[in-house]
Amino acid sequence: MNPLIFTTILMTVLLGTMIVMMSSHWLMIWIGFEMNLLAIIPILMKKYNPRTMEASTKYFLTQATASMLLMMAIIINLMHSGQWTITKIFNPTASIIMTSALAMKLGLTPFHFWVPEVTQGISLTSGLILLTWQKLAPMSILYQISPSINLNILLTMAVLSILVGGWGGLNQTQLRKIMAYSSIAHMGWMTAVLVYNPTLTMLNMLIYIMMTLTMFMLFIHSSSTTTLSLSHTWNKTPLTTTLILITLLSMGGLPPLSGFMPKWMIIQELTKNSSIILPTLMAIMALLNLYFYMRLTYSTSLTMFPSTNNMKMKWQFETKRITLLPPLIVMSSLLLPLTPMLSILD
Amino acid sequence: MMTYIVFILSVIFVVSFVGFSSKPSPIYGGLVLIVSGGVGCGIIMNFGGSFLGLMVFLIYLGGMLVVFGYTTAMATEQYPEVWVSNTTVMGVFLLGLLMEVMLVLYVLKSEEVGVVFKFSGVGDWAIYDTGDSGVFSEEIMGVAALYSYGVWVVIVTGWSLLVGVLVILEVTRGD
Repeated sequence: MNPLIFTTILMTVLLGTMIVMMSSHWLMIWIGFEMNLLAIIPILMKKYNPRTMEASTKYFLTQATASMLLMMAIIINLMHSGQWTITKIFNPTASIIMTSALAMKLGLTPFHFWVPEVTQGISLTSGLILLTWQKLAPMSILYQISPSINLNILLTMAVLSILVGGWGGLNQTQLRKIMAYSSIAHMGWMTAVLVYNPTLTMLNMLIYIMMTLTMFMLFIHSSSTTTLSLSHTWNKTPLTTTLILITLLSMGGLPPLSGFMPKWMIIQELTKNSSIILPTLMAIMALLNLYFYMRLTYSTSLTMFPSTNNMKMKWQFETKRITLLPPLIVMSSLLLPLTPMLSILD
Repeated sequence: MMTYIVFILSVIFVVSFVGFSSKPSPIYGGLVLIVSGGVGCGIIMNFGGSFLGLMVFLIYLGGMLVVFGYTTAMATEQYPEVWVSNTTVMGVFLLGLLMEVMLVLYVLKSEEVGVVFKFSGVGDWAIYDTGDSGVFSEEIMGVAALYSYGVWVVIVTGWSLLVGVLVILEVTRGD
């Protein structure tokens, strides 16, 4: 793509999300979502083959439907409150419709079906933007309307997402689909605590984005999109096998690493609000996630996966230079001792 | 009949929307889009917005739809689909018509319609006065406000349209 056009379109994606996060008028928020959607379609279609076109079409259809539902909820809210500012939703119907619309945008169950298919059909870099940047805008709106969200619906969607994200990722060998199911599960964790303490949602979003960025950049570094090709990393750059191990275990939520911090805080917040069964179920279902991360680490870092002999003598062109990879790796694994700093967020 | 003119126009509006969303060939979709544009213009004019109605006719129908019609005429197939040629299209069209007829009967018969929000039957559609907003008409003031208080909206919308053109060119360009 022409670099100038590509820069313009990328800046429009950023501008769309910024408009969504900064606006106080519902119509501007809707415009921001549409601008975001419009501009990300050519980014998803960077490589021109039928798979990317199909993935972009699927993404466009689901997100456009979600935008329509959002507009419907905005208008019902307008009819019942007479004003366009975002404070809270004044009507339960509008609240339910808006929650469903934002769940469709995020990829929560039962609207999660597009996430693995779209993520699989596009290139790794586009998948990176899709799974990290595109989650910011809907999550910011959920944060702003969190006082008026129907708890039952949101918690049902959250718990089902964690289940689907864990269970659905079990049979996958394609890395992009694994990351997609991991995204579904993490969105479930984020929305589960939204009604109780929205700050933890933002914390989880931050740490999830860091970990996902790290994972995708490690995949881009070794140009691997399947488990098999990731298992040849010991041959290309042996150091990244350890980094993949650490980051994957952090995504699974293991204690000394930063991925544990959001899960710990969320479970603590949920138990403070006298729900015991829910966080227990969530923690148990996060084990499913941990299982397929462990399987990736097993084939990549812990063993030398069986391969043919010519795969053991790989050569490649010059190493890709991935910006900011070392700081990201450090941040996605070593942030746990900074947990007491969360008290500044009150 | 003139008291219920807005209601009648809105029924024609919905019927033509059903007509193009049951997906016949784009040429016929454009045809009912013209009808719906004209009828929508009538609805806006009945509420006192003569300027906006003129905008609909000039810019929407006379600009965008003309370009759409020309491009569709260039890309059309030999036997375009009509509403009665394909069973699916006809089925969807008839289903939409049936829903609209049922809704119209419901609105005409009952005093109050409460689907998601209540509005009082046909009474809400009839216009008894065009609003006492003093010397200036409301809709011209709205357009003026768009360019004074709403500059940001104009900038964002203009940028979206520009990027829309870039995106469409990029998507259809291919390799």
